[in-house]
Amino acid sequence: MKAVSAGESLRLGIDPDALNKCVQCGLCLPHCPTFRATGDESFSPRGRIALMRAVQNDGAPITRDVERAFETCVQCRGCETNCPSQVPYGELIEPTREALAQRSRWRSRLFETLLGFLARPAWLRAGAGTAVALRRMGLVPRRLGVPENTADSNAPIPATGDDVFLFTGCIMDAWQRDVHDAATRVLSAAGVGVQATGDAAPCCGALHRHAGLSSTSETHAEHVIRALSTDDRPILVDSAGCGAAMKEYGQWLGTEEARAFSARVFDIHEWLSEQLDRLPRVEPLDVKLAVQDPCHLRHVQKVHLATRTALAPFVRELVELDDEGLCCGAGGIYFVLEPELAGTIRERKCGAIERAGADVVVSANPGCSMHLAAAGLEVCHPMQIIDRALAGRTG
Amino acid sequence: MGFVESVRVRIAERKVPPADRALLRDLRRALAHDRVRFDAAERALFAHDASFDEGGVSGPICFPVSTAEVQALTRVAIDHGRAIVPRGAGTGLAGGAIPLGAPIVVSLMKMNRILEIDGDNRVAWVEPGVVNLDLSNQLRPLGYHFAPDPSSQQVCTIGGNVANNSGGPHCLAYGVTDAHIAALEVVLPSGEVAVFGEIGPDETGLDLRGAFVGSEGTLGIATKVAVRLTKNPPAVRTLLLAFSAMRDAAQTVSDIVAAGMVPAAMEVMDQKITNAAENFVGAGYPRDAAAILLAEVEGLEGGIAIDARRIEEIGQRNHATSVRRAETEEERALLWKGRKTAFGAVAQIKPDYYLHDTVVPRSSLAAVLEEIYAIAERHDLVVMNVFHAGDGNLHPLLIFDARVPGEIDRVHRAGDEIVRASLAAGGVLSGEHGIGVEKQGFMEELFSADDLEHQNRLRETFDPICRANPGKVMPIGHSCADIQALRSVPTGVWG
Repeated sequence: MKAVSAGESLRLGIDPDALNKCVQCGLCLPHCPTFRATGDESFSPRGRIALMRAVQNDGAPITRDVERAFETCVQCRGCETNCPSQVPYGELIEPTREALAQRSRWRSRLFETLLGFLARPAWLRAGAGTAVALRRMGLVPRRLGVPENTADSNAPIPATGDDVFLFTGCIMDAWQRDVHDAATRVLSAAGVGVQATGDAAPCCGALHRHAGLSSTSETHAEHVIRALSTDDRPILVDSAGCGAAMKEYGQWLGTEEARAFSARVFDIHEWLSEQLDRLPRVEPLDVKLAVQDPCHLRHVQKVHLATRTALAPFVRELVELDDEGLCCGAGGIYFVLEPELAGTIRERKCGAIERAGADVVVSANPGCSMHLAAAGLEVCHPMQIIDRALAGRTG
Repeated sequence: MGFVESVRVRIAERKVPPADRALLRDLRRALAHDRVRFDAAERALFAHDASFDEGGVSGPICFPVSTAEVQALTRVAIDHGRAIVPRGAGTGLAGGAIPLGAPIVVSLMKMNRILEIDGDNRVAWVEPGVVNLDLSNQLRPLGYHFAPDPSSQQVCTIGGNVANNSGGPHCLAYGVTDAHIAALEVVLPSGEVAVFGEIGPDETGLDLRGAFVGSEGTLGIATKVAVRLTKNPPAVRTLLLAFSAMRDAAQTVSDIVAAGMVPAAMEVMDQKITNAAENFVGAGYPRDAAAILLAEVEGLEGGIAIDARRIEEIGQRNHATSVRRAETEEERALLWKGRKTAFGAVAQIKPDYYLHDTVVPRSSLAAVLEEIYAIAERHDLVVMNVFHAGDGNLHPLLIFDARVPGEIDRVHRAGDEIVRASLAAGGVLSGEHGIGVEKQGFMEELFSADDLEHQNRLRETFDPICRANPGKVMPIGHSCADIQALRSVPTGVWG
């Protein structure tokens, strides 16, 4: 695709039937975090679809405002589950982002370079260590959500058996190793032997996909499929964003092999909620827990209720947020690229958490927990809660 | 907005005609640089609402955050001889918020605060951009809600409800928006701020609050609204009755009212729309029924148990094929979700819809519905019916594909015939969506010249030169419909 300069039109390459499905009724508007934050039609799914139509069907120019409308989409896909006409919004925004990424060559190169680190686990771990050190010295702004501590060890997580794979991913493996450790202990307590995928399958490619770098994301998908297709055991994922992407590999690549792979992928709570009787009965933790649903668990994988099923035996009380699963604004690396909007979106989420009056918030996605933690909330992964309950510790 | 951004905007707007550049400059002084937009693509978005009207042309789009800013931008409009069109969530279905003649579009979405909840007087002061359902959700812990519940309540705003005097399923028992607005603070087309209505006992003198509610933005812009709070019912029971003929469902509704009951809501959906809604929500609606009736009773437990049983009996006398009671709150919520999102589900079948809004006497429901199906068949169109059966408010949905040549013309012709059939049965033009641009042409069929003349005089008292939402409600040819009275740019200049 040829690069064009600002003001010129652009071929978006969206499936015309998918684009024509929206009736512009506006029922998506309240479920869009950017519309909620701004009240601006061009920051809503209906507005973005109308703009895609204007660009694709009528050759409207890509002005700065049009570009902003597209690049401010968090891609939470909350609109998709709330659309009565079931408009496949993901199939509209992904090609749009791809066309935009290709339009600006320096921008796509920058993304390629930055996101390239995700497939280099050793560099990531070194980077994470450095960032944490800088954070402790107060040299990194708090809003970037860098945690204050990181994994103690760079060594691979030892395998406890070969019943399931635990997909450990890129950023999470470097920065939230303790979540993987907790997940491994919980699975072991259920008598499930775990093999962490570690550096063999370093990155799922979800963030590349969201940034419009489709071909890179597909290269990552092929790599992951190759590395984990030695047998057909289930692949458990404790990051909602990675799980959603890996379940969509079949659609990305369109091959039988990819579809078969996607069928083996489970969110860890989704899988565990069917195996709860294998876990020992323990005294529930004396906490009131609020569950924050990562968008890619609720709106894409649609298995967010399993998180509650898995948590219920292990805590005194589970409370729901009253915002019907509205996005928190993390959106992969969105909170780094759009800090101001992401912050406004997060304020609404923090309000809902406050109203729920919970002691602890859990989130099954690394991006969400970093973003929420940066607002000063105590955020855990559900696996850490179950792990704590099983260890007989409290709070 | 930073300096770089404002320079960028200035460069982008270098081709704007000088008169408009002056208008933009003054509006930005009155509000803020980044809350006045002029991008062509963005203006195209604000040229539409949720109706299938082809849309107008928007001038600058303003996002005020206070009454003072609305007043200031009104004064700028006066200085520059421009019209003003207020806009909420843009879910109107009659084109009421469509800008005609490149007016200043005033989006009230950033004025979305609940200012004060006054439990003693059972009112809340809210800004016009508050979303209807958000308000009821915030009031719920206090034991109250805002009674009007349009199907679009998850997105539509209180300001839009006031403008259209909106109804909703539960308005059967509670009355429409007008009954729930105690007072309003408005910015008049002259730029003055006035308060209509009172919180306490009814005010004496002319009911200007009553005149303003339902005026579709033609008398000014409401900037604060005192809404009445309705106590949440102690108990609710929701019933789903299925019928093998639409006539039986309609007769059941008439019989329930004739038996002296006023249920909180009575909603009917035909087979096609039921299936589209079921595909989305999976509420367990019976897919094979020709019509389903969703009836809800509320009050004290003992009373509603009797009412529910009587409704079931009346349904069975009218050959109901099944009767189901919602056993849990989740089940009830799902039954309502399907009803309230039904009109948005039609793209599963065709990508465009034309949603009507006539009201007919309950006794002629069945006959008018049969005529509507016949009209659609004559024009080779698909029609789906979903309606507020209790108050005879019909919502025939003509669905079509605008890409098919000639289909829009057939939709227009069928739509006209549906409206005429409703009027002939003793009905009226609109139950809740308003007149907007959609039904202006029919005003002369419903009202005499004298009626219209008096309506026009009322409007001129507020707005002698048609600054506020010109070209709406009153039929073309009446003075205020003449948008050229203002020095506005004709349609298409900036297209």
